[in-house]
Amino acid sequence: MLARISRFDLSRIPQYPVLYGLLAALLALVLILLFVGRVPVSYNVRNLVVRWWITTMMVLAFVLVVGLMTVMLAFVSGMDALTGNSGQPGNIIVFSSGANDEGFSNLALSDVSNLERTQGIAVDEAGQRLASKEVYVIVNQDIPVPKGSPSRRRFVQVRGLEDAPMSAKVHGLELLPGSQWFSEAGVEQTSDGQQVLLQCVMGKGIAGELGLDRPGRQPLAVGEVFRMADREWKVVGLLNSTGSTYDSEVWAKRQIVGERFGKEASYSSFVMRASDIKQAPQLAETLKKSKEVALNAMTEESYFESLSDTSRTLLLAIRIVAGFMALGGIFGVMNTMFAAISQRIKDIGVLRVLGYSRTDVLLSFLMESMILALVGGLLGCLLGSLCDGWTAKSTVGGQGATKTVVLQFLVSQEVLAGGLLLSLLMGLVGGLFPAVRAMWMRILETLR
Amino acid sequence: MFQFFTLMLKNLRRNILRTSLTALCSMLLVLVVTGVWSVLDFIDRQTEEKANDFKVLVTEKNKAPSRLPRAYVSSLREGAARGPDDVKPEDYMTWAFYGGTLDPNKMTRENFLFLIACEPEKAPTMMDELDQLNAADTARLQDAIAKMKKQANAVIIGPEQLKLMNKKVGERFTVNGLIFKDLNLEFEIVDTFPDAAQRYGQTSLMNLDYLLQGIDEYEAKTKKKIANGADPIAFVMLKVKNKEDYEKLSAQIVNSPLYNSPAVRCESAGSAVSTFLESWQTIFWGMRWLLAPAILGTLSLVIAVAISISVRERRKEIAVMKVLGFTPGHVLTMVLGEALLIGLISGLLSAGGTYLLVNKVLGGIPFPIAWFQRFFIPTNALWWGVAIGAGTSVLGSFLPAWNARGVRVADVFSKVA
Repeated sequence: MLARISRFDLSRIPQYPVLYGLLAALLALVLILLFVGRVPVSYNVRNLVVRWWITTMMVLAFVLVVGLMTVMLAFVSGMDALTGNSGQPGNIIVFSSGANDEGFSNLALSDVSNLERTQGIAVDEAGQRLASKEVYVIVNQDIPVPKGSPSRRRFVQVRGLEDAPMSAKVHGLELLPGSQWFSEAGVEQTSDGQQVLLQCVMGKGIAGELGLDRPGRQPLAVGEVFRMADREWKVVGLLNSTGSTYDSEVWAKRQIVGERFGKEASYSSFVMRASDIKQAPQLAETLKKSKEVALNAMTEESYFESLSDTSRTLLLAIRIVAGFMALGGIFGVMNTMFAAISQRIKDIGVLRVLGYSRTDVLLSFLMESMILALVGGLLGCLLGSLCDGWTAKSTVGGQGATKTVVLQFLVSQEVLAGGLLLSLLMGLVGGLFPAVRAMWMRILETLR
Repeated sequence: MFQFFTLMLKNLRRNILRTSLTALCSMLLVLVVTGVWSVLDFIDRQTEEKANDFKVLVTEKNKAPSRLPRAYVSSLREGAARGPDDVKPEDYMTWAFYGGTLDPNKMTRENFLFLIACEPEKAPTMMDELDQLNAADTARLQDAIAKMKKQANAVIIGPEQLKLMNKKVGERFTVNGLIFKDLNLEFEIVDTFPDAAQRYGQTSLMNLDYLLQGIDEYEAKTKKKIANGADPIAFVMLKVKNKEDYEKLSAQIVNSPLYNSPAVRCESAGSAVSTFLESWQTIFWGMRWLLAPAILGTLSLVIAVAISISVRERRKEIAVMKVLGFTPGHVLTMVLGEALLIGLISGLLSAGGTYLLVNKVLGGIPFPIAWFQRFFIPTNALWWGVAIGAGTSVLGSFLPAWNARGVRVADVFSKVA
């Protein structure tokens, strides 16, 4: 968490005005309470220390609520980062007409030939057009299970490519050192010449996932062989991890993927880089309206944005759960603060006799609950931030499209800000009513 | 005993505010745990292997989504049985999927329709929960199925889907095919699923024959093959008596020379559902082992705080009780009992309220996971609520109750003196 705080990026504040605005307001309130209130802070701190058992339990409750919320938000944040990192600026993805996803798209070979001649495709330093012809299939892979157990399988996303190095360039990916692309044939023989292996390159996420089947649960490495769809596949290369959906894919030669999985006569998608990045949306729109061939085209960024439905659903669910937990927490804080006040009724009377105003009493008790919330919130964020970098298998998807992905929990500064904001809100609302009650107590009644 | 119970009630009534706040907190947190457990319970039930009435799915072995040629169907319905000793399925149902948009110029969610193409007469026996409808709903469903048998383009659409499409029973509409591109079919809505079949709120059924006929007619008319038209079947579902029959049937089908290209896979319905939910496992794991325990922990802490405060305020009173002859055990029981009362009552009220609110008012928890759209609170949740309330209150109050048990009369009165 300290690392996150040290890397705090002020430029992101305008993107989340409500979050940072509320947090700033509440932190300012804590400061105001500390410096404006006339009742010494040490009075409140000592009271918290005297009731250390109750204080500890209340702080622990805050830690649990905020820690849990941090973990949940880090998961969604990782999911958003995954879809956000997957689209390259200027890339346009083309599907067959009516299809919103690679899984349903069937582009005829002739349509793709026409697309390759589209005006406005960027070229690389060697003068080659930055375009990628791709076949995408989901393959069932049997997972080894103990004898007598129900059979298990996983879905593996396999992408077949005509020109893998060019595709990697289009998607902004590179091979890790020690890796190579698959050969022109896409196959190789074992050293004893007994078996033909299908060559593939894969992302680090799926390499880790497939490695789970082995006794040591180590990720697959270059040179290793695994079984999928009744064939042996050899890993010839690993892609660098960009935190994109491609980390969860296996790449192989298009002809091999097409023939084996019923896509020999069509492509799933055609991805191209617009020569003028700013013109990409217009180019996509032009392709969509083409009268020669019916297509569906969109910028790659908007395609991956459409896969954010799952994260939006989860975020909503988390907000609802956090709301209920926060309400529960507020009642807990109220209980503690009402008890603190009832135990210190005479103190309140003495403070008033000494000349402290009703407002001073209000600020003093409010500060006490805010201190509890701040300490609990910070510890909760600290605990929750331990999940930063955890990997988890999940799904991202939108209308009619889903992808199985391996994502990383991301404890962003917004996640921490959200956790702290929740904690301070609980402290404020939970402490306000008891503090108001303390404020309106009459001196005579309190000292009786 | 009754007097002891009355004493506990009186103690709770003495500070109505504290009791109410603790109860409210319990109710809110029990509500969340009940919701979470309801989702997990439903998922667990979908993926568990049944001992009897085993449902088996025959799908394409190596690829998802599965696509099987229609030539496979007739022999698969017989379980590929060839000899007298071979296992034959008790029942079958063929599934294909037809999806498209009601308006090709406006591809929005409300215009998108996904239909299960099947033998409609198999729905009541092969689709989960449709065999548990009451007599009136069963009669209504049978009536709708009879209409589908008479009229090829008839469809049954779930009430939620119907509302989303802004259509009514009796209306006709055309779907512009996307899975089978350019295959546009016209339909007439003959009924909806009964409200009691809550999980089918967004499900739509059409005749498989109508889809296959549509493919044939399109190909004959245009003289070109339709995308996915050669292998339009998604899977064949078979029902066998028990696991033993499932294993025999599975071997029969997998080893049959009839299914080589593509090869097929035979798995129990529970196992197939597990596979589709595999990518949600982290979320389910988090809900089961992080979210629910953290909420239970929070609830225990809040109760512990409330009871600790209560004990702290009543030290003198506890000392007096001891002087009057109450044993430490009595004191421990009294404090635990007070917490238990709050926990039990708030747990029951919360679970009952959640059950009514979610099932009767909200029409389920809208949490789309895979193909499940909404989750309902099971009747079991009523005892979960009581158990959560009781468990967390006992757990949270044990330490304060133990402290109350240990209050020493001499200590208390020496300070008073």
